[in-house]
Amino acid sequence: MQSMKERIERLLLKVQKPARYIGGEVGSVVKDKSKVDVRFAFCFPDTYDVGMSHLGMKILYGLKNQRENWWCERCFMPEVDFAALLRENDIPLYALESLDPLSEFDFVGFTLQYELSYNNVLEMLDLAGIPVLAKQRGDDMPIVVGGGPCVCNPEPMTDFFDLFIIGEGEEVNIELLELYENMKRQGCTKLEFLKQAVKISGVYVPQFYDVTYNDDGTVSTITPNIEQAPAKVTKRVIADFDNVYYPDAFVVPFTQIVHDRAVVEVLRGCIRGCRFCQAGFIYRPFREKNIDTIKNETKCLCEQTGYEEVSLSSLSTSDHTRINDLLSSLVDYTDGEKINLALPSLRVDTFSDELLEKIASVRKSGLTFAPEAGTQRLRDVINKNLTEEEILRTCRTAFEGGYATVKLYFMLGLPDETLDDVAGIAQLAQKVVDLYFEVPKEKRGKGLQVSISTATFVPKPFTPFEFEPQDTPEQILEKQAHLLRNVTSKKIKVSTHMQKNSILEAVLARGDRRLGKVIYTAWKKGCYLDGWDEHFKFDKWMQAFDECGIDTKFYANRRRSYDEVAPWSHLDYLVSHEFFVRENKKAHAAQTTRNCKQGCSGCGIKKEYGGVYCGAKHNAQAVDSAN
Amino acid sequence: MAQNITPKLSTLQIEKFDYRAVYAKYGRARYISHLDFMRSMQRIIKRSRLPVWHTQGFNPHVYIMFPLALPLGTDSRVEIMDFALTEKLSNEQVREQLGEKCPEGIEIISVSQPVHKHTEIKYAEYDIKFKPSIPAQECLDKWNGFMSLEKIEIEKRTKKKTVNLVDIKPHITVISAQTQGEQVALQMRLPAGNDFNLNTNVVLDAFFERYGIEFETICTLRTKIALENGESFT
Repeated sequence: MQSMKERIERLLLKVQKPARYIGGEVGSVVKDKSKVDVRFAFCFPDTYDVGMSHLGMKILYGLKNQRENWWCERCFMPEVDFAALLRENDIPLYALESLDPLSEFDFVGFTLQYELSYNNVLEMLDLAGIPVLAKQRGDDMPIVVGGGPCVCNPEPMTDFFDLFIIGEGEEVNIELLELYENMKRQGCTKLEFLKQAVKISGVYVPQFYDVTYNDDGTVSTITPNIEQAPAKVTKRVIADFDNVYYPDAFVVPFTQIVHDRAVVEVLRGCIRGCRFCQAGFIYRPFREKNIDTIKNETKCLCEQTGYEEVSLSSLSTSDHTRINDLLSSLVDYTDGEKINLALPSLRVDTFSDELLEKIASVRKSGLTFAPEAGTQRLRDVINKNLTEEEILRTCRTAFEGGYATVKLYFMLGLPDETLDDVAGIAQLAQKVVDLYFEVPKEKRGKGLQVSISTATFVPKPFTPFEFEPQDTPEQILEKQAHLLRNVTSKKIKVSTHMQKNSILEAVLARGDRRLGKVIYTAWKKGCYLDGWDEHFKFDKWMQAFDECGIDTKFYANRRRSYDEVAPWSHLDYLVSHEFFVRENKKAHAAQTTRNCKQGCSGCGIKKEYGGVYCGAKHNAQAVDSAN
Repeated sequence: MAQNITPKLSTLQIEKFDYRAVYAKYGRARYISHLDFMRSMQRIIKRSRLPVWHTQGFNPHVYIMFPLALPLGTDSRVEIMDFALTEKLSNEQVREQLGEKCPEGIEIISVSQPVHKHTEIKYAEYDIKFKPSIPAQECLDKWNGFMSLEKIEIEKRTKKKTVNLVDIKPHITVISAQTQGEQVALQMRLPAGNDFNLNTNVVLDAFFERYGIEFETICTLRTKIALENGESFT
């Protein structure tokens, strides 16, 4: 009998980038399984290249492996070439450290990062020989758990999971595994375990809730069917963010991955409140790490990984209260070690010359702005507090400094958007072009290129736009055409997002339990790796909706009333429903809302969750002078 | 902003001490492509915290050179990597410090000062073992027949996307060919280096295809990187 390793190795030279499938990377944790009590397979439902870039996995992998008798391993979605060979050769999907099949684990955990990765969960379970439907999995099968931003509305995926973890995972994962370790020793059943697990705050077990529907198809009630289950599951928040666990080691892949660098998380949450942005609300409140903590973590990871680049991770790095001190302190270290410091998510309105000089990366890659909307009125609707003047001012400095490439990101289909707003996108880009030609030739760089990239707006749960209809494909096509008509300069390049993806995202993001059937049907028809254009099969998806008698328009294109019971209304992300209603009304009146730093707007998050700006009375000036 | 651009390394590192490492790549590391392997080695050097010499441009990076690529799937204990330090350290210390940071399947065999130039590499030698779908002796007979052919022509795609026929026979030197139980074991010398490279896969694919033979897992080991006169490259 050949070992798993031998069986896998026989296939490796037949596939693309085989180093993704055999493990052995620096930083990967290998334990003696005879000395391990709890085994957890952390699965990322997309390919290795994408999944290995995910910070959450690195954190939870390190966290669980700190315990000597727990072993957390990694697993990714194989590419189609390798998946086909696995099936042909009867090799079940396995974890990369032990090469053991997923079915041998106590837990199989998936992180749900984006809707189009949902079907990979089914495909991965099936490749591993684990029944995809939770109700078909007996006590001999692993407990399938889910986490990540998409579980703020996990309802479309409830058929396939035993348990969801709502909110931040650092504490609740430990509590859950400790409970399991104890109960496993006592020989409890899966059901007994789940009944105890629901008592842990942040744990949601979908089978313990019943959903009823109204005649018009909307949700009527969501009620617990066992007494242990709380009526509302509240998300977990790490209040003491500065002291939260952070890994001192990363798994360093052999093959190039999407974000191939060390990453240090500097802050969590966002003060901005852009109304379309789910991350801006579900990760509240805004908490940050001390400069020393960040510096130590940076140093530690750079030394362990040997990466030549480190990046700071956050929703908006420049909102760190001591950003200038932080950067000068980090640059001292990274320059000395000849490590490149990458700073994504710098906002244009804090883009100071002083800051730029410090990080003066000599690579003139270009500037990227996300104005999101073409006119000031529409930017006020979405509460993107970024003015045209700010954009143009920064572009001018950049052009004078020799930059010649500008990327502008927009969304089409925002609430209350008119064709004038769409034309405004072209006008803004044209102003950037004109500005370039105003800058003296000897100063500006050569070969101006302004790229406009438009995505289609997808309304998301737990945002002020959760009530909004998504534009129909016809409306979006009209807007795309209108944009192209209004672009006259050859210096402006327009690219548009694949509309069909956005429809599916909109349906899944705000769907209910009835969509489980559609997901299952679509998967049976061969839909997975949907995030990859070359694998996305929209027609198969539409057939699945037809066969299940479900109309995508009901989920995507319908305006929802403020008092409608949302499919996710039994989950509490701490930001209040009243706040979202208030923000929605202000959006339609094109009124902006101040950010947390300028003053509290009463989103509902309480002080005890550790938010920097929560609960305290303050004004913008006091905070500014403290910097 | 960005007006006063100066290279990040304002102080030039003039002192440069050249080193040449011989390393092994096998087992799990066999599946790392050459491009990925170069990145991995760069990280091993960075992790070792050796006073490594960086390139002196706007984006300083670890100076590292590989004279010969090792095809994905081939093992070796004779691979060469050149790099430089800003301080003179003993070869043994350098070997040790690098070795400590290598993952499974990568080993630093020795460190020394470069003797030959990269352009002097002309050949490489390989041990190849595989279990054919036909009896080993029959396969060996076919191999001997294959090697006594006057010409072995393979199709080679050109840059213009046309296909040329190339005769590889004159380039193949068989050192030995025998059976080992159910396996066939071959030793051969093939051209390598800047001018002309011949991959073992090309030779074997031509053989397997011609005789319709299938095989289970080929093990290929590069055993020597040689100069024109047959001596080892050091």
